[in-house]
Amino acid sequence: METNQKPGESYQRFHVLHRLLHIIVIVNFTMLAITGFLLYFSGSVWASSLVSIIGGAKALGWLHRFCAVFLYIGVLVHILWLFYYKIVLKQNLSGAATMMPNKKDIKDIVQNVKYMFNKGNLPSFDRFSYLEKVDYWAVMLGMQSMGITGLMMWFPEFFSRIFPGYFINIAVHFHLHEAVLAVMYIGLVHMSDTHLVPDVFPLQKTIFTGRIDKLRFMEDHPEEWKRQQMTEINQP
Amino acid sequence: MQTGTKRTRPELRNIWICPLLTAGCFFLIMAWFSCALAATDPPSLSTWFVNMNRYSAAAHGSLKCEECHGSMLVNGKNHPDSKVSDSLKIQIIRKFDYQVCRKCHKIAYARYLKGVHAKAAMEEKITGKPSKSGYAPTCGNCHLAHYSKSHLSRIQIGKQMTETCGKCHPAEKASYLANYHGKAAVNLGYDKSASCTDCHGAHTTLSLKNKDAVLNVCRRCHPDATPEFANIIIHNTKKNLDLKNNIKKTEFKWVHLLGVLSLIFVIVILAFFYMHAGLLMLRKLYEKLREHK
Repeated sequence: METNQKPGESYQRFHVLHRLLHIIVIVNFTMLAITGFLLYFSGSVWASSLVSIIGGAKALGWLHRFCAVFLYIGVLVHILWLFYYKIVLKQNLSGAATMMPNKKDIKDIVQNVKYMFNKGNLPSFDRFSYLEKVDYWAVMLGMQSMGITGLMMWFPEFFSRIFPGYFINIAVHFHLHEAVLAVMYIGLVHMSDTHLVPDVFPLQKTIFTGRIDKLRFMEDHPEEWKRQQMTEINQP
Repeated sequence: MQTGTKRTRPELRNIWICPLLTAGCFFLIMAWFSCALAATDPPSLSTWFVNMNRYSAAAHGSLKCEECHGSMLVNGKNHPDSKVSDSLKIQIIRKFDYQVCRKCHKIAYARYLKGVHAKAAMEEKITGKPSKSGYAPTCGNCHLAHYSKSHLSRIQIGKQMTETCGKCHPAEKASYLANYHGKAAVNLGYDKSASCTDCHGAHTTLSLKNKDAVLNVCRRCHPDATPEFANIIIHNTKKNLDLKNNIKKTEFKWVHLLGVLSLIFVIVILAFFYMHAGLLMLRKLYEKLREHK
């Protein structure tokens, strides 16, 4: 198989919608992080001078809210796509080849830890490794809680009708701490696990081009590769 | 130019450059330092000595000394009385009779008399001792009669008052600056955000313990505020734990507890994934380097 490999042979991995959504997440997440932390560090000179370049507190606030709404529209589009995937395309939302966490992920974590200490081989991942699943769910769940706490701070008058007033203060804490978590997770863990690993350094282009090289497919997602070969053989 | 000219050895000339540069740098630093020192304001509170340049540029600059200080005779004696040994050591702000301010600032004075600062001053007069948080402030503690300028912008006044109030209320200043109101108003210069006096009043200085009063204050900017809106904690300080109001105290405890818990959650998750990512990266680098051997 490997001997017959053509140099440019690649397979489709990501649909164009998902590539677009990933770019939307990149742009808006970065803008949200910048504008949010500029407000948090506004007491220091560098932050307040940057804010004055952006156009003051009001512009900063509206930019943050605009990006938040834009990003959440992306989340909604994704959820709509999930319905389309399930109802129209009649595909499964849970199973080996999906983002749903399953028992194999736990085995993979154990196997990966063994691999780190030279006690075993790399686990054979399916279509999504558990790290990719964590990336996905961190964003997916994070957007929900950041969205709710953000809305609570945006419309305190409305939310203090539903919740006690001090819930707004709790929302401030949650929003800040989760922002720290998100930025520090994406900045180091997501970057190093997907983009900086020696095999694909400096950039994992699959999420932008949608295509994965045959070699990377076989090494990074061997289970899916096997399944694909089986279906190709079974099909006339 | 001839290519073969011999370059003179620069050692002798260059030997002077280092000390000269050092001396120059030293001179510049000293000059900058003395300029910076000269530019700093004199002690902010009034003293026996008045900087006339600053005085004439200030709001009261057109007034003559006698208009506030009266004549130089007090009880038929020269003032200040040089025979009293520590006459110059008296704290002027405590000594000065601020009734004079009333002549021009009638409304402000009347409001001051209604507020908690005046109440504390009255108690101080009766007991003769300062309260736990120090002497009660009179006009001169917040305003510089000689140097305060008029026609400042809302933001300039807001920044100044945060410092002024913060001298006696440091916890409130810190919590205000941690709150969105303070960040927007003081740090980013957003003039629609509230400063100290927008809620507490300039001369009435309410401590806002009464819920209805708080709601009225919130509604100045948030017209749709409900009674529960007034329960949002603005000054989130540790001082709240000493509150007598038990409901407020438990609310503050919940906010604090959940804040700490979410921080611990974040730290634990990050610690796990940083360790994971670091070890995995080391292993993969090791594999890659071994491949190339």
